[in-house]
Amino acid sequence: MLKKGSTATSPSDIAVDVQSVVKVLTQSQRENAGNGVLKRLARPEKKRVYALDNVTFQIRRGEFVAYAGPNGAGKSTTMKLLCGMLLPTDGKVSVLGLSPEKNRISLMKRLGVLFGNRTELWWDHPVMQSFAWKKAVWQIPENVYRRNLEMAIELLDLKDLLKTFARELSLGQRMRADIAMMLLHAPEVILLDEPTLGLDVVAKRQMIAFLKTVNRENGVTIIVTSHDMDDLEEMAERILMISAGKIAYDGDFDGLRALTGRPSRLRLTVDSARPPDLTIGRLLSEEKGVCEYELDLSSIQVHELLAQLSMLHGIRDLEIQKAPIEQVIAELFRAWR
Amino acid sequence: MVDRQKISLKQFLSLYVLYAKMDFAWLLRDRVFASLAILSDVISNLSSIAGVFLLAWKFGGIGGMSRYEILFMLGYTSLMTGIYQVFFSSNNVGHISRRIGRGQVDHMLMQPLPLPVQLMTEGFIPFSGSSNLVSGAALLCIAVAKLGIRPPWWWALALAGHLAATVAILVASSYLASSVAFYAPAQAEEISTYVIDAQCSLAQFPLSGMPLALKAPLLTVFPAGLLGWFPSLALLGKPPLDLPGYYPAIIAVALAACAAYFFRKGLHYYVKKGINRYLAIGHRR
Repeated sequence: MLKKGSTATSPSDIAVDVQSVVKVLTQSQRENAGNGVLKRLARPEKKRVYALDNVTFQIRRGEFVAYAGPNGAGKSTTMKLLCGMLLPTDGKVSVLGLSPEKNRISLMKRLGVLFGNRTELWWDHPVMQSFAWKKAVWQIPENVYRRNLEMAIELLDLKDLLKTFARELSLGQRMRADIAMMLLHAPEVILLDEPTLGLDVVAKRQMIAFLKTVNRENGVTIIVTSHDMDDLEEMAERILMISAGKIAYDGDFDGLRALTGRPSRLRLTVDSARPPDLTIGRLLSEEKGVCEYELDLSSIQVHELLAQLSMLHGIRDLEIQKAPIEQVIAELFRAWR
Repeated sequence: MVDRQKISLKQFLSLYVLYAKMDFAWLLRDRVFASLAILSDVISNLSSIAGVFLLAWKFGGIGGMSRYEILFMLGYTSLMTGIYQVFFSSNNVGHISRRIGRGQVDHMLMQPLPLPVQLMTEGFIPFSGSSNLVSGAALLCIAVAKLGIRPPWWWALALAGHLAATVAILVASSYLASSVAFYAPAQAEEISTYVIDAQCSLAQFPLSGMPLALKAPLLTVFPAGLLGWFPSLALLGKPPLDLPGYYPAIIAVALAACAAYFFRKGLHYYVKKGINRYLAIGHRR
């Protein structure tokens, strides 16, 4: 495993502790030909799949961690293990010092969980009714409830939605209401599984800004999974990459980029109609005098690059950017396959 | 799942108040909807028992039971299904195989409440689910008056006891069958519907005059005879087959114990293996 950035901490600082966790799932197998169907009628064939294979990691209190990986890597399985919806085949899971299996009720009072494809709202009631239900079931003190409700209404722009029936909300509105509901009991740890799934750009920005505020100002530990790597990079400081049930990387996003060299983008605005020939990079696109190159800054120093560029004529502007994290991840996924 | 934490009686009762308020708000969300819902419930309840009562009227009774004894039995079954509907019919609490088969037990595991408390309170709909209860009580009163019974003071307690036992039998049967859904979620998603519908339909038929070979299974393994016929005759002072009046309570305890055992085992299997067929709607209205 590639690891970076983890330092020793006292047990009270640990929000999530996953030690040597193995989760084996079984998948039914069947041939579709007549013989295969009959052969497996008495003894169905089962395939054992290691959804998690000896996974170990710790997350400190107040961290904002992205949990990423390709489809079927074990992200949702980990989330379910952390909130007690699944039990590990082997190993130990602890959240806020509590076992999700043995202390489910105590843990749920301190944990917030949101799955992007599920809603906790009451379908045939106004949003406010769902909030009142949460207050009663979680036994949230009035002052805590009021404070969190007011904060959520303001930051998530929910004022006009409170009287609307949940079934009449758009996806973005529903997600905002679900996030607000999740935060009403002031959870110390939040698990978000694909919270930006299907959201438009505006709703996404609003949600990301809100989560960053909650993390920064309230010190809430947040673990988020998403397929959108740019979203994850914007939200989190640390990324845990999982591949085929194993932790493949644990560290920051720059470290992740470094795994594939230092992939960068050079954007040149030029006078000439023809894009300049650069030996140090590969031309990706050229449109209306703006040329974009892909280059690896681990193989060339910036001053060398600038020296080369200064030899060229007709350059009006230049910009160097990090390669999109999506590209880095795609290369890593391909390499791990 | 080890889940031993208890809650106070005050919180338990406050959950009933919460769900009652939500049910009232749900029923009155639209006056046209509310009127139609109440009217259609009453028509549906009365028509479901009309067939058996009309037969009894035509032939002057069935299997040795008089017309009004039949009406008493039909009133009792309506009352029993009414109680079931008030306490367990909402949010698929009674039809628990739907929640299991759709992977929606996950939602319950996220609440900081013991699962039995959730199951006992979440289905409570005293307003929108009371039509059977009201029509059953009315039919029972008419039958008692027509039969000329002057019930002693303890008769109401005996009625309450029989109703508690029969509702427990119905719910326990549903949960026992629904335990299969933990292992075969797609195939058994609707199994509770079949169990409840079959039992409630059969409960309306008087078993008097039937051969013992038919009565025996309906009083033991598939106890539909204990949901209407047996308790009605016991309350009318004619307990059938010389069985004690508390016989339904014994079956209720045995069935509830079996259901609790197999449901717990199934739940353990659920959190061990998971159910990969989550459906987003249908666990909550």
